[in-house]
Amino acid sequence: MADAPKGPKGPKPSDGYLAPGLRPETLGEKAYFPELIRGLLISGGHLLRNLLFKRDTSPDVLHRRGPNLVTTIQYPEEPVPQPPGYRGMHRLVPREDGSPRCVACYLCATVCPAQCIYIEAGEVEGDPIEKAPVRFEIDELRCIVCGFCVEACPKDAIRMDTGTHCASTYDRPSIIYGIDRLLKGPAVSHQSDVWFKREGSDPPPEGNPHPIPPLPGK
Amino acid sequence: MSRIVKLLAVALGVPGLVIFWAWSAYTLSDWAAELCTHFHLGVTLGQALVSIVFIQLFFVMIVATLLTMAERKWSAAMRDRIGPNRAGRLFGMSFGGIPHILADALKMIFKEDIVPNRSMRLLYHLAPVLNFVPIFCLFAIVPMGPPVLFDHLIDGRVVHLTSTLQISNPDIGLLYVFGIASMAVYGVSLAGWSSGNKLALLGGVRASAQMIAYEVALGLGLVGMMMSSSTLRLDAMIKSQSQGLFGWSWLPAWGIFIQPLGFLIFFAAAFAETKRAPFDLPEGESEIIGYFIEYSGMKFGMFMIAEFIEVVTLAGIVAAIFFGGWHLNPWLDLHLRTDIIEPLVRWRFHDNGLVTGSIALTMAVIQTAIFAAKVFVLCWFQLLIRWTFPRFRYDQVQNLGWRILLPLGVGNVFVTGVCLLVDPSMALLGVVGLAEIGLGLGMVIFTGSGSVSKSAAHLPTPATAGGH
Repeated sequence: MADAPKGPKGPKPSDGYLAPGLRPETLGEKAYFPELIRGLLISGGHLLRNLLFKRDTSPDVLHRRGPNLVTTIQYPEEPVPQPPGYRGMHRLVPREDGSPRCVACYLCATVCPAQCIYIEAGEVEGDPIEKAPVRFEIDELRCIVCGFCVEACPKDAIRMDTGTHCASTYDRPSIIYGIDRLLKGPAVSHQSDVWFKREGSDPPPEGNPHPIPPLPGK
Repeated sequence: MSRIVKLLAVALGVPGLVIFWAWSAYTLSDWAAELCTHFHLGVTLGQALVSIVFIQLFFVMIVATLLTMAERKWSAAMRDRIGPNRAGRLFGMSFGGIPHILADALKMIFKEDIVPNRSMRLLYHLAPVLNFVPIFCLFAIVPMGPPVLFDHLIDGRVVHLTSTLQISNPDIGLLYVFGIASMAVYGVSLAGWSSGNKLALLGGVRASAQMIAYEVALGLGLVGMMMSSSTLRLDAMIKSQSQGLFGWSWLPAWGIFIQPLGFLIFFAAAFAETKRAPFDLPEGESEIIGYFIEYSGMKFGMFMIAEFIEVVTLAGIVAAIFFGGWHLNPWLDLHLRTDIIEPLVRWRFHDNGLVTGSIALTMAVIQTAIFAAKVFVLCWFQLLIRWTFPRFRYDQVQNLGWRILLPLGVGNVFVTGVCLLVDPSMALLGVVGLAEIGLGLGMVIFTGSGSVSKSAAHLPTPATAGGH
């Protein structure tokens, strides 16, 4: 052993690995017991504070105050307000008479990157020119809410202004939305709409023959 | 406001339930004793049967079941979460998540019971039972309440029958605990071995090695208390803790005050026997899933509920040996009887012949509630430990068992023996014990880790800090 070469000065292997920047343990930490008690005090303090005191349910988690430290948001009961720029799920825009503005041109279905829009076109009764969707379905499971359909639509027939998000369901068929569930919200009409300009076409009727369900929350 | 109402409901409802439970246990136990005396069956048979129902089924099982939910709710509160509150909501209240217990039990009962092809069928089916039964039997020697004398008129003679809330009171007392507790590891290692799974086998081997390492310390930690109370019976140990230390009436001679080191050793070793964090290496769900990896449904549920029954049992044994059982300090015991219970009973029964027996019964019921309160607090403390400390590495577990707890236990036995030889009245033992407590508290107070925040300031910032 006397011939063993002396190693360079520095930490011996028996000191254990010490990550750079870490100091060696103090005596109290090596004794282990005081640190155990301290840890118990911390988690016991959290436990008592959270069990005994009322939870601050403010949606702004960072500004919750009070002795209770819980930061959970109980979502369905305590919804967080959406940010002002949030647009939400799409809707089919109705005309003044309650029928969809959509003319079944397939532009939205073509541009859709998720290929979640399915349209079947049909003829409008008593109108030799107009097309209208017989089926207009959006698979909300596939929709990525990118808004391309809104951009592509030449008729302003699909909009993203509901401010809601897709409700979850228990089965797949009920999350494929048809015209009945997509057609909602305030009606939109433009003076440039062709059915106003076409010769011999009737002016839009007064009143609303089909009641339009209002937007939720508005 | 509703918060205060809820807290008040819990603060009044739980003691009320415990007192009602203790009262009916004593009454039925006395009734069973009278019935058995009538039929010459021996007093202890009826009392033991009533105690089995009231202590094992009503107290231990219900507390263990509630602990499964308490663990989830309290661990959530310790980590600033809310915990389960969705099952069985009624009027917008979640009832502390207690309906989840029903949901859990239903789920476990109706789950498919999968038996692996490579398992040894008989042992595989037997292992949960072998684990559950010894643990379930452990509480049998824990006395929940003091003995009460009831007078009965049987065959024209007045017979004194003693009722007590204890299933069995053998002279070997604590040796029963050691013997039966170590039986439980058979279930664990057989579960690991018969599952035909390497990880399960590892868990079983870890459990048995850990059991061997801590069984010695478990016994040595209690030797000090056995010596100072010179008995192995738990009721006699509780009686020896009813007096005051140094003759002071405010400081009871609880085991924790005369044997703090023994308490630490026993508690750590017993905690390792319950196989819960920080000693949950046989389970170790993040490295090996543990000895019950191949178990599903209610078989797994038996392993789980056995763990919580162990928690309750450990709390009961520690409350009896180290926390004075059903005694507060002598001053409080005396004044509880003379100033509160006696006037109350006299006012209720108008000083007729029932008074003496009623005072004893009321006192016993209140003391049972005190014992139950100590059990609840100790269960809470175990859950606090389980959710605070991280899991040991396996060599650390063996180091702690063999190289720290075992020498400490031997030293504690030696010091206790010397103290009792010098001064049989336990005063010297009390001085040593209080000095040990003072040393521990001093370590906590004076070895502050105040330098942590300073040294953390010049830690190098990790390269990954601030996002990906």
